[in-house]
Amino acid sequence: FKVPDEISLLVIVVDVNPIWWGQQAQREQEFTLSKCLDAVMVMGNSHMAMSRTNKLAVIASHCQDSHFLYPSKSWKAGDDGADDASSSGDGKYELLSVANNLIAEEIRNVMSKTEVRGNSTDTLLAGTLAKALCLGQEIKSRILVIKAAEDCALQYMNFMNVIFAAQKQNILIDACVLDSNSGLLQQACDITGGLYLKIPQQVALAQYLLWVFLPDSEQRSQLVLPPPAHVDYRAACFCHRNLIEIGYVCSVCLSIFCNFSPICTTCETAFKIQLPQMVKPKKKKLKQTT
Amino acid sequence: MKLRVQLQCKNLHEYLRELSPEILDRLYNHPATCLAVYRELPSLAKNYVMRMLFLDQPLPQAAVALWVKKDSQKDHDECVSVLGGLRLWHSQQLQGGLQGYILNPVFKDNLRTALLGGGTAWAEEGSTLGPDRHARDIESLDRYAMERWEVILQFMVGSPSAVSQDLAHLLVQAGLMKSEAGEAPYITSAGFQFLLLDTASQLWYFTLQYLKTAQSRGMDLVEILSFLFQLSFSTLGRRKSRRYYPTRLAITLAAGVTTSSSTTSSNLASTPATVEAGFIVVETNYRIYAYTNSELQIALVALFSEMLYRFPNVVVAQLTRESVQQAIANGITAQQIIHFLRTRAHPVMLAQTPVLPSTITDQIRLWELERDRLQFTEGVLYNQFLSQADFEVLRDRAQGLDCLVWQDVAHRVMVVTPQGHSEVKRFWKRQRSHT
Repeated sequence: FKVPDEISLLVIVVDVNPIWWGQQAQREQEFTLSKCLDAVMVMGNSHMAMSRTNKLAVIASHCQDSHFLYPSKSWKAGDDGADDASSSGDGKYELLSVANNLIAEEIRNVMSKTEVRGNSTDTLLAGTLAKALCLGQEIKSRILVIKAAEDCALQYMNFMNVIFAAQKQNILIDACVLDSNSGLLQQACDITGGLYLKIPQQVALAQYLLWVFLPDSEQRSQLVLPPPAHVDYRAACFCHRNLIEIGYVCSVCLSIFCNFSPICTTCETAFKIQLPQMVKPKKKKLKQTT
Repeated sequence: MKLRVQLQCKNLHEYLRELSPEILDRLYNHPATCLAVYRELPSLAKNYVMRMLFLDQPLPQAAVALWVKKDSQKDHDECVSVLGGLRLWHSQQLQGGLQGYILNPVFKDNLRTALLGGGTAWAEEGSTLGPDRHARDIESLDRYAMERWEVILQFMVGSPSAVSQDLAHLLVQAGLMKSEAGEAPYITSAGFQFLLLDTASQLWYFTLQYLKTAQSRGMDLVEILSFLFQLSFSTLGRRKSRRYYPTRLAITLAAGVTTSSSTTSSNLASTPATVEAGFIVVETNYRIYAYTNSELQIALVALFSEMLYRFPNVVVAQLTRESVQQAIANGITAQQIIHFLRTRAHPVMLAQTPVLPSTITDQIRLWELERDRLQFTEGVLYNQFLSQADFEVLRDRAQGLDCLVWQDVAHRVMVVTPQGHSEVKRFWKRQRSHT
């Protein structure tokens, strides 16, 4: 007796930081943002082809905000107007071609319309992940993050909150890192039970996605997959957002500081310090020599 | 005593394995078929196929065997046999002399097309047709589909309903009904079992029978199957060229036989097989309450229970020994009755575990076993031996031939199987001529 198919949601979060991708275009012309999105679409199509009840969502994470590439708000299911556009003349499964066209259109909108403020290569990953978590409320879901730019220590707090929320909801977070290792994502994968992989060759992104990240959690228990990497568990201090190994912890709210301060900035508890008392040196009794 | 014929409900894969290789290859020439077959694979096999989909060279078998962890070796072997049986991959010699696996190229190309495009359209697009004036919404489609299906089922139960000659003929050929010369067809025991299955299984069984007859009628099996699979991938209610609307029943057809029809957590729009929610409540005092108006469902419940009361929206019935045993005499098994009750269980019942009270399920099975107290075996009786020694000699001989069924030493009586009878008789004749 086969278990009825459960709905399984895959959320793909793509880092579309334009500054990093712009620099990337100069570094290596073989692998551009559109090639990356092609690979993402192959992954999404394969996920939806696996089972009738699989669902997909794609979110693009930009510098200051995030956008849903699929499903997008302007698309209503069963819309007759979309019918003509969707019937694909090239043999692709109709559902997939609808999805792919939408993704292509939305990413064009996002990249051309979103303003870029500042010069930083940060991406607002924590916020995007929070949106992804909201999607997978009552259904079995997992998140795949494709990370391009580096970590931003400013997001440490929000990121950790998102990770613990995902752990509570039994949502796996997988990470596929294109360039530099990300300690935050390593922690996320370790805590939620997902896979972390830094890809040796960027052009082979699609193949890595299909081989490593396509199987869901039940199938992963049967397959041999890359082992977990060494995780950098250092916390970031609340005052400077530096990663520290030893620090001061407030006993009330458990926030971490690198330097001592008499009042905790998070919960505003005042700490009374006792100065070390002067210890009178004890007179040593001399042994009486007989 | 009538032997009970078990209704075999094969699923897609078993059916495909029986087809000849040429037909299979032609079948795989269509992306829809490849996708349908792919979806029915066990999940590990799906991953295997995905991994090999974009490779053009064979992979060494040893490498593939390393993909699974050691505990899952059994699953790996199962996948290998499934993929081989469906001719999705075959062995090929690599350059180093090792054996490798490579995907069936026709299958590979068409699955790639289904995923990525780049091939020809699945069906002729009727883009010249204007916007649809007769757009049907999902609900009316569902109702239409269920109505038509119920007409067929009612015809089987015996209530008067108009069914085409073709269909009646198909039912007879499927073994679900029998027709005497000149009289209307009546239902067989296999037909009873068919009625108690859930809708998806019924549909699938029916389609398989149709496909079998299609071959004999000269229609192209490949075309029919491709059409079916294509239909199953269309979205519910969408118009297609030439304006036919896939109904939910058609879509769930290729989704296989064993989707449970009692998933009532239907907050999300596109839910699985069943169209009707559960409506049967079974109590521990053997009463059945069926909240339905449908004649067909009432007739089905009446097959194995005694009707007590009938109200505008409820029917009250009682499970009694006589009613269940009569159903069993008609060829229905206890398992099918239990399956029927379970698949149509009311949401209130579904909330409790086990869904049906265990007293009821146990008792139905016990009633079935009551009829099985006697087991009939054919044999030949040997008695009236003149002496104990004669009896023992013959008995040992029969035991040596392994055809002794039963013996009674005190009365010098023994029973031998019919097959062994001739041999034993010959031996006895020789024995007697000696003494």
